[in-house]
Amino acid sequence: MSTIPKSRLAALAVFLIVLALFPLGANGYILGVLTTAFYFAVFAMSWDLLFGYAGEVNFGPTFLIGLGAYGAGMSNALLGLPVPLAIVVGALAAVAGGVALAIPALRLSGPYLGLITLVSVLLLQQAIVIFAGVTGGEIGLSVPDVLSISSAANYEYALAFMLVSGLILFLISRSSLGMILQAAGQDQVAAAALGFNATRHKILAFAVSALFSGLAGAFLVFYLGTASVSAVVDISIGVRVIIAAVLGGRRTIIGGAIGSVFLIVAGELLRPIGQLSTFVVALIALVVIVLFPDGLLGLLPHRRGA
Amino acid sequence: MSRKKTAFAAAFAGAAMAVVPVAAQAAKPIVVGITSEIGTIPGKAIANGATLAAEQINAAGGIDGRPIKLVIEDDHLSTTDAIRSFQRMVRQDHAVAIIGTFVSEVALALEPWAARLHEPYMITGAAANELSEYVHKDFKAHQYIFHAYMPAAYLARAVCDASKATLVDQFHMKTAVVMSEDAAWTKPLDAGYDSCLPKIGLKVLDNIRFAPNTSDFTPIYQKIETLKPNVIIAGWAHVGVQPTVQWAQQKVPVALAGINAQAGSDVFWKATNGATEGVITGSTAAPGVAITPKTLPFTDAYVKKFGYSPAYSAYSTYDAVYALADALKRAKSTKPLPIVHALEQTNMVGTQGQIAFQGAKSKFAHALKYGPDYVTGVALQWQAGQQKCIWPLKLANAKAKFPGFVPVPKS
Amino acid sequence: MLAIQILIDGFAISTLYALGALGFTLIFGVSGVLNLAHGGLMVIAAMIAWYLDTSLGFGPYVGALAGVAVCLVAALVTYGGIVRPIENSRAVPAHERELFVLTATLLWGVMIQESLSYAFTNSPITVQPLIAGTVSILGVRTPINEIFIAAVAWAVMGALWLLVNRTQVGRRLLAASINPRALTLLGFELDRIYLFVWVIYGLLAGIAGVLLGSFLGSGSDYVPGLTGSAFTIVVLGGLGSVSGTLIAAYIVGYIETVTAYLVSPSLREVPALILLVVVIYMRPQGLLGRR
Repeated sequence: MSTIPKSRLAALAVFLIVLALFPLGANGYILGVLTTAFYFAVFAMSWDLLFGYAGEVNFGPTFLIGLGAYGAGMSNALLGLPVPLAIVVGALAAVAGGVALAIPALRLSGPYLGLITLVSVLLLQQAIVIFAGVTGGEIGLSVPDVLSISSAANYEYALAFMLVSGLILFLISRSSLGMILQAAGQDQVAAAALGFNATRHKILAFAVSALFSGLAGAFLVFYLGTASVSAVVDISIGVRVIIAAVLGGRRTIIGGAIGSVFLIVAGELLRPIGQLSTFVVALIALVVIVLFPDGLLGLLPHRRGA
Repeated sequence: MSRKKTAFAAAFAGAAMAVVPVAAQAAKPIVVGITSEIGTIPGKAIANGATLAAEQINAAGGIDGRPIKLVIEDDHLSTTDAIRSFQRMVRQDHAVAIIGTFVSEVALALEPWAARLHEPYMITGAAANELSEYVHKDFKAHQYIFHAYMPAAYLARAVCDASKATLVDQFHMKTAVVMSEDAAWTKPLDAGYDSCLPKIGLKVLDNIRFAPNTSDFTPIYQKIETLKPNVIIAGWAHVGVQPTVQWAQQKVPVALAGINAQAGSDVFWKATNGATEGVITGSTAAPGVAITPKTLPFTDAYVKKFGYSPAYSAYSTYDAVYALADALKRAKSTKPLPIVHALEQTNMVGTQGQIAFQGAKSKFAHALKYGPDYVTGVALQWQAGQQKCIWPLKLANAKAKFPGFVPVPKS
Repeated sequence: MLAIQILIDGFAISTLYALGALGFTLIFGVSGVLNLAHGGLMVIAAMIAWYLDTSLGFGPYVGALAGVAVCLVAALVTYGGIVRPIENSRAVPAHERELFVLTATLLWGVMIQESLSYAFTNSPITVQPLIAGTVSILGVRTPINEIFIAAVAWAVMGALWLLVNRTQVGRRLLAASINPRALTLLGFELDRIYLFVWVIYGLLAGIAGVLLGSFLGSGSDYVPGLTGSAFTIVVLGGLGSVSGTLIAAYIVGYIETVTAYLVSPSLREVPALILLVVVIYMRPQGLLGRR
């Protein structure tokens, strides 16, 4: 399962080199679209680790993303921390949030956990609005520093971040942790009978997922130069993350990346139809989910049974 | 960028995304970007106002022979979408300037990008004071931004000026409750209300702020009723229909004035099933009222083209496009700084009044100048299904009157 | 005075919440489906009612009937076009069916919201009340519409109770919700029962949508909020439990109203959300849940 044919490794390497060299050829706009897509890819991959492997229905990916984004944004805007340090603060805030979510997840499952995670997003949103003095409230928080105003540099940051995160998440999913999570997700009692401490692994899974969600949220803030509810917390953003992961192919990690890039690029391609673009993207995603439940990756013939 | 490089990029990112414009005729169009929320009434009005202005300017020969080409993009009320679209219009379409958004939150997220990318950006509908305060704060870096609409502080002043002339002088009202939605633009608005209402003789009994997603206003009206004020001074834009309908349905015995932005639209009568009868709101213009010689021709052309009357943001956007075209002609350049300097010299008759921008020293740098000689807006009231102008008095075509359930104080 | 006001206002809101969430819980109880396009269906009903009445001038009654009818059609499309294909799909493993239905109906809700926004813009509207005017109850001026809404909602819920408890088809419905497998063995078409429950659901959501539109307004932006509040109430009451849903609706409705009156209208939703978290944590099956 963890052995990948050499030919595919080579193809992957070529693909990555082409991606990295993209800024030489593409214009700023295309780079900008892909930059956002790459951060989204990390959101979706982190979500997939929780759902695809641990079987946890997390409707609130933006709770973790938002904690990372606002943690980083506020420590830069209010405390004046430099960008790298602010990103670390954001990631820590998200991990704390992830562990907090893991506690109810130990007792609950299915729609109940789904609702708790949904409520966590709503409460975070309310908190941001209520403490508008420090969070910027509805208006959004402007951060003084950005990663770079060069689209090529932003692109390379996002690409590198996505590749490293993706690789780590992928390795985790293929490690014993992934197997145990999967086993516990399907049959907790059996997993426990085999001597695995499902509790510890579950908390770990939440923490890892939160770490990458939070990091990506923090990076996104310093890319956009702003943190706002509509950009990183709103339920609709979380919905997009879930759709991306399921669309790409759940329980694959990289499916999340493919789904995200597909969704965002499709959204841009459909820009000429303006207001209806969201409708069409939702329609495409719906058709894929109903007709091809294994997502875009499942359409590849050679992945059967992998 | 060479065409070869573009083709290389397009092969990976999807062919349709990078259409190569090879229109190298003599009259190369000047591209202007419009960012807006097309699904909303004021957002649609921004797109419409810009479209109408561009068509008229092009029909009259364009800018020294070059037509204006608009790129209109929907930001879906999302800051992320708006920033992406802003960058796209600058880098891909090479827009010489970008105009739009009536949402302060979106405009505030775009401002740093206008500064970073040195892109002239005209905000035409959002009202937060912070928008032009931002320009003032670091003028050299932020000079690319123009607040081509009134900051909330001026909106509050207009409401006070109008209330003095009508509610206080004509109807002897003495007490008010301020009731605003909790949003960026109402903070300075409320501050303005609190300071100017007492000066015109309206005592502020309470200041109530509510969440924009409030669906039931009964508790708020109940609380207001116990205070027995003469008038509610509103600060509403995101909400409008629901509080207006509940005000009428529950027959709240207090007049309703201030800013009820949605009531400025002529579809508001239908949206509220007529509950808006007697509601007073500050607005940019009123039907049939010639603020300047340009107002009525604009309204007529707009109604003819789109089939309904313009919302407030259509006036400001239409004026902004004309101001930009005028600046481009004077600047004889499409480079950012010459455009900015030419815009600063703007002094033209617009649909809203005399259009001119404030200087760097002003607290509201690059915002529209306010006053009887420039722009003040109007106060209008819904009377028997019609929007009537009740202020400024020299333009008024009706006197204010109130529904039966609203008692008017005996002097 | 204030207490009476809270009592009356909270009652009207709670009753609407109950009616809106009832169909939602019924579908779950009988067929195990959580329909996250719920809010979209309710808004369709209100928008159609408003459009026919106010824009086309057919009058409030025609508008209301058409709104309910279109909502019913939309509910059946949801079932036939989305939920059923997924339930019957062999490619979706049984333990993931729930998530697929959730995701797919969520997408469907987004599509409904976007189409409504495209057709009518996202500006909110209000459905014209069937009865105008106000009446004084113990000194509190109350719109007659509020009383009318509560009366209609309770009549509909009463009819539903009779249907489930006093008719043949209702008892089958009940049986299906308790043990679907046994029912199939008895030779009843489970498919037909499901279709039937979706018809009831469509009618309930339509009526609730129109009434809500006349009381609290409606518009494409209301879609996620309505889905969320139905979801919250239903989980709080216990998934699939009709009486639990009713109790939860009144608890949430009154907590919100009390908060709005006594604390601040801006904080209206917060205490109910916190209560929900506490209840789910202490008692995951909800107040009256079976599982």
